[in-house]
Amino acid sequence: MESDNNIITMDHIDKYIFDAYGKPLHGTNVKILDDVHFDMRKAEVHILIGENGAGKSTLMKIIGGLIPYDSGTFTYMSKPAFFKGPKDSLSQGIGFVHQELNLCQNLSVAQNIFLGSEPLKKNSRFIDKDMIYEKSAALLASLGFEIDPHELTSNLSTAQQQIVEIVKVLSYNCKVIIMDEPTASLTQKEIDKLFGIIRTLKEKGISVIYISHRFEELKEIGDRLTVLRDGKYIGTIDMVDFDYDTIIHMMVGRKLGAMFTTNHKTTTDEVLRVENLKIAQRTAPISLHVNKGEIVGLSGLVGAGRTELAKSIFGVRQYYGGKILYNGKELIHQVPKKLIQDGLIYLSEDRKVEGCVLPMQIDQNMTLAALHQIFKNGYIDKGKERNICNQSVGELGIVSQSLQQKCNTLSGGNQQKVVFAKWLITEPKLMILDEPTRGIDVKAKADIYKIIDDMASKGVAILFISSELPEIIGMCDRIYVMAGGTIAGEIIDKKSFTQEKILSYTVT
Amino acid sequence: MSNTRTETSNVLVRFLKTKGSIVIFIVFWLCASLFVDNFFSLDNNLLIIKQAAIPVICCLGITVVLMTGGIDLSLGYTIGLSSIVVGIFVKTLHMPIPLSILLTLLVGLLVGIMNGVIIQVLKVPAFITTLGTGYVIYGLAQIVSSGSNINRLPANFRVVGVTPIGGLNTTVLIALCCCVLFYYLLHMSTYGRSLQAFGFNPNAAKMSGIDTPLLNISVYVLCSVCAALAGVLLTIRVNCAQPTMGNDMTFEVITSAILGGASLFGGIGTVIGSVFGVLSLKIIENCINLLNVSYYTYQAIQSIIIMLAIIFENVKNRKL
Amino acid sequence: MQYSEGEKAMVGGKKDYLKFLLGVALVVVVFTILGTQIRGFLSFRNLMNVCRQTSIIAICACGMTMVIIIKGIDLSVPGVISCCAMINGILMLQGWPIPLAMLVALAVGTAMGLFNGAMVEKLEIPAFITTLVMGNIGRGLALIMNKGDSIGGFPSAYVFMGNGTWLGIPVSNYIMVLFVVVTSILMGKTRLGTYIYALGGNDLVVKQQGISTSLVNFFVFGFSGFCAAMAGILLSAQLDTVHPVQGEPYLMDAIAGCVIGGVNMLGGEGKAYLALIGALIIGFLRNILNLLGVHPFYQNIFVGVIIIVIVGISIARKNNVMEKNKAF
Repeated sequence: MESDNNIITMDHIDKYIFDAYGKPLHGTNVKILDDVHFDMRKAEVHILIGENGAGKSTLMKIIGGLIPYDSGTFTYMSKPAFFKGPKDSLSQGIGFVHQELNLCQNLSVAQNIFLGSEPLKKNSRFIDKDMIYEKSAALLASLGFEIDPHELTSNLSTAQQQIVEIVKVLSYNCKVIIMDEPTASLTQKEIDKLFGIIRTLKEKGISVIYISHRFEELKEIGDRLTVLRDGKYIGTIDMVDFDYDTIIHMMVGRKLGAMFTTNHKTTTDEVLRVENLKIAQRTAPISLHVNKGEIVGLSGLVGAGRTELAKSIFGVRQYYGGKILYNGKELIHQVPKKLIQDGLIYLSEDRKVEGCVLPMQIDQNMTLAALHQIFKNGYIDKGKERNICNQSVGELGIVSQSLQQKCNTLSGGNQQKVVFAKWLITEPKLMILDEPTRGIDVKAKADIYKIIDDMASKGVAILFISSELPEIIGMCDRIYVMAGGTIAGEIIDKKSFTQEKILSYTVT
Repeated sequence: MSNTRTETSNVLVRFLKTKGSIVIFIVFWLCASLFVDNFFSLDNNLLIIKQAAIPVICCLGITVVLMTGGIDLSLGYTIGLSSIVVGIFVKTLHMPIPLSILLTLLVGLLVGIMNGVIIQVLKVPAFITTLGTGYVIYGLAQIVSSGSNINRLPANFRVVGVTPIGGLNTTVLIALCCCVLFYYLLHMSTYGRSLQAFGFNPNAAKMSGIDTPLLNISVYVLCSVCAALAGVLLTIRVNCAQPTMGNDMTFEVITSAILGGASLFGGIGTVIGSVFGVLSLKIIENCINLLNVSYYTYQAIQSIIIMLAIIFENVKNRKL
Repeated sequence: MQYSEGEKAMVGGKKDYLKFLLGVALVVVVFTILGTQIRGFLSFRNLMNVCRQTSIIAICACGMTMVIIIKGIDLSVPGVISCCAMINGILMLQGWPIPLAMLVALAVGTAMGLFNGAMVEKLEIPAFITTLVMGNIGRGLALIMNKGDSIGGFPSAYVFMGNGTWLGIPVSNYIMVLFVVVTSILMGKTRLGTYIYALGGNDLVVKQQGISTSLVNFFVFGFSGFCAAMAGILLSAQLDTVHPVQGEPYLMDAIAGCVIGGVNMLGGEGKAYLALIGALIIGFLRNILNLLGVHPFYQNIFVGVIIIVIVGISIARKNNVMEKNKAF
C-alpha cells in the first residue's frame, strides 16, 4: 500500500490565524491552511513551493512541532503525531533548518552544534570538550566544509553560519529534515556540497523537505514537488514531470477579482527618483521613479529587499551609494519627521511593531503624525481632534465603539485603516505603502483599494509594495520587480501584467 | 443592545485601572483614620500634605522618565548635589537668592543633559548610566562639601520655602505649580502624547515623525531639574545643606510612582497617579511616626509595597 | 582537519587565557613601577591589606559576572552583604557555632538571590528593579535587626578568617581564589555554564533546544546572592564589625571589576578570572589613589566614569558587529 511507504501523512489540515502561543486568535475564522494534504515518503526529497503567504512555513512549523494544527490528521511513522514542542519533535527524529539563523553568536561553532546535548566526561559533570570539538571537526570534514569548530560564531559569514545551522541539525539522528530556503546565502560551491549531502542522506534512508524558489536547483535535487496556494493544497507532481509553466500556473492560477477601480490619471511629473541606490555593499544598484498621480508597484518575494529600499528612502535605514531625489531635491541625512512635513510618508509592513501604537486609542494613533494640526493656541484642541478623527472614521469605514477605543482591541483590518488614516491626515504627496492589505478581510481590502485610487486621483504619487500579485496587477500603472536586493525587471505595458511574468522575474 | 450591568462593571474596571491610586489613597486614609490614634486631625493631615510636597516634585520627574521605559537612579544624588551647591551659593558665597536658586537648577539641567546624552547617543542602558552618573554625582557632592554640612542658612533664603500659607507653606505652593506644569505637559500638550507613544513603541513613534532623541533626553532633563528643585526646598526645610540629603529619596519616589500606576515598561504615567502615590506612602510614614515604630520599618514597607505593586501590575497584564 | 597547537591557542576561548596572563603581567609590572614611586605602596603590610580587601570585591564579582552575562544586573549586593553579615554576627554573638551561623547567613543570601531569580524568570520583571528592591529589603532588615546599631567583638577564630594568613597569604584570598576557580570551572566546563552563556547570547535558541531557562535564572541569581553573602561574612570578619550599611561601596566596585575584566553589559561575554583581574585593578587603583592622598570620593567619580566609558565602547563595538552580520 502506498501509505506503508509514507513517513508523514497529513490530511485535511486546517490552521487558523494564531497568536504567540500557536492557538487560534479569538473569534477568527481566517484560515492560514485550508484542507491541506501533504505526504512524505521514506528517502525522498520532497519540494514544497508556493508564493509568500501560501502557508509553507506554517505547514512546516506544524511538522516541526512548533505550533499545533487545529483539525485534520497528522501521522508520523505510522502513529498519530502530537509534538509538545521543537525539542520533542527533534527527539522523535524531525530536524528543522530554519531560514533565519538560530545560533548563539557568542558561542563557538562546536558549542552551537552540541547545544543542549553536550556529552559529559565519564563519571563527571564536566563537558567532554575534546569530544565536542573532535566530533564537530569530523562532522564538518565529512560533509566537506572547512569551518573551524573553535571559531566564534559571530566571526563567521552568514553563509558559514547557515552551514553550521545545517550541520547542527545533521548531528542528530533525524529521519526527516526540513530545510527552509537553505541556499539563500550560499555560494555555488557550497550549494553543490549541500546537494551532495542531501543525496547521501537519501542513501541512508532519510527524507528531506526542501523549500525553495530556485527552480534550477529543484530540478537537480527533487523527487516530488507539492504546490500550496493561498493556504490550499493545489497538487503534487513527480519531478520527472516538472514543467516550468505548469508549476507557475499552479502557484498563481487564480482569477483576478473585479474589486479594483482605476479612476486616476497618471502624469509625467516626477515626484520620486532613486538613482543607483544600494541597500547593501554587495547588492546591485537600484534605480526607479514615481510620478504624480501614478501607482507604481514594487513586487518580489519576501527577502528581496523591498522593505529595505523603502526604509532607506524614509531615512530609517542606512544605504550605500546612490541618491534619492524628492520633488527634484536630493535627500541627505533625511529623518522621518522632516519627510512627513514635506509630504513623504511610509506605511510600514508591520503595523503591530511600526505602524500602530496598540495600547493607545484610535484618536491618539490617528493624530500621531500630525500633532501640530490639533495643537493650536498652546493646548490640544480636543474638538478639532474629534472632528478630524470622525471624518477619517467615516471616510475609511472604520468599525469601532468610539474614538477612545484602544487599538489592540480592533480587528486587523480596522487597525490598518487607523494607520492609513494617520497618514492621510498628514496630507501626503508621496505615499510608500508596504503590504497595505496584509492580513485583512476582503471587504476592508476593497475599501483600501478605493482609498488608494482616490489618493492617486488627487495627484498623490504612490509606491505600492506588495507580495499579492492580483492586487499589484489590479492597482498599478507600472510594476518593478525586485529580487536579491535589486530590481530584476520593470513592466511598463499594462497588457503584459500577468502573474506569470512577474513571478518569472523573481525565481532564478 | 448593551447590558447595563456589564457596562457599569466595565466603567468601574476602567476607573480602577486609571485612577487606582486614588482608591489606594482613600483606603489607606480610612484605615489610618480609624485605627491610628491622633491621625485624624486637621494638623496631622496638613502635615502629611506638607511632607508630600517635595517628594511629589521628584515623583513627577521620575514618572516622565518611567514613561519612556527608562529609570533615573541618580535622582537622590542630584538632590544631594544641589543641596550642597545652593548652600554654598547662599551662605558661603553670599550670592543673591534668586541667582543661587537659578544656578542650582542649572546644575540639575546639566546633570539631566549628561544622563540623557549618554543614554540616547551612547546607547548605554539607563540603569547602568544613571547608576554610574549617580555615583559620580555623589562623589562630586561629597568633594564640594568637603564632607561636611552647611548649617544655619540665611533667613531670606529659607523664606522661599517655609513661609506659611493657610495651614500649608510656600513649598506646597511650588509643588502645586509643578503639578500644574506637568499636567499641562502630559495631558494638554502634545508632549505627553509623544511621550506615551515613545514609551509604548519607540519604533512606531519615530516612524510617525516624533523626534525621539530629543524626547528621550528631555525626560532626564526634567527629572534632574525637579531633583535640583527638590534639593533646594529640602535644604530650606531642614535648614541644612547636606550632600547625603536625597539618598533615601530615589527609592521612595520610584515606589510612589509605581504605586501611582506608572509602568516600568513605559507608556503609562499620570500626574494624579504621582500625587496620590506619594500621598499614600506619606500616610504610611505618618502612621509609623505616630505609632513610634522604627523608621527602618518604613523603608522595609516601601520595599514590600513596590514589590506588590509590580507583581499586581504584572498579573493584571497577563490576565488580559 | 588538524590544527597546530599554536593555532589552537589563538582561536576561541584559548585567547582568554592569554589575556589573563597578559593582564596579570601588566598589573605586576605597572604596579611595581608605581610602587617605587609611591611611598608605602610596596610595603608588605600595605600589599597584604589591599589583597585582603580586594578579595571582597572579587567574590562579589564572581556572582555579578554571571548575572551580567545573562543580560541582568544584581543591585541587591550591598543589601545582601549587610543583611547576611548582620544575621551571621547576631547568631555568633548569641553563641551559635561559627560554621552553623555562616551556613544560615549563606542560606539567607542564596534565598534572596533565588527570589530575585523567580521574579525575573516567572514574572518577567526587569532585573534592575527586582534586585534594587531586594537590596533595599536586605538593607532594611539589617537596620531593623539591630535597631540601626553596629555589632562587633566576634570570636577570634572568625576574625582569623578575615585577617589571618596561612603560608604568608591572607586567608581571605584563599577563599577568593576558591570562588574564582569554582566560578570559572562552572562557567567553562559544565553544561550549566554553557547554558548561561547561551542564554545571554540568544534566549530563543535556548528555549528551542529545550533547555530550562528557569534553571539558569534561578541558579545565576541564587549564586550571586550566595557570593554576596560570603562577601558580607568575610567583610565582617576582616573588620570585626558589622555595620548595617557596610556593603554600600561594593556594588560599584564589583561592577567596575566586571566591566574592566571584559564582561559585556549586552550579555553573552565574560570570564570570572578576567573579572578577578578587573577587581584587583580596582582594588589596587583605590589603594594607590589613597596613598597619593586622593579623596575617596574623587575615586568614586573616577570609577563611575570608567564604567560608563567602557560600557559605552563595548556597546558601540557590539552594535558594529551586529550590523555586519545582517543579510542585507
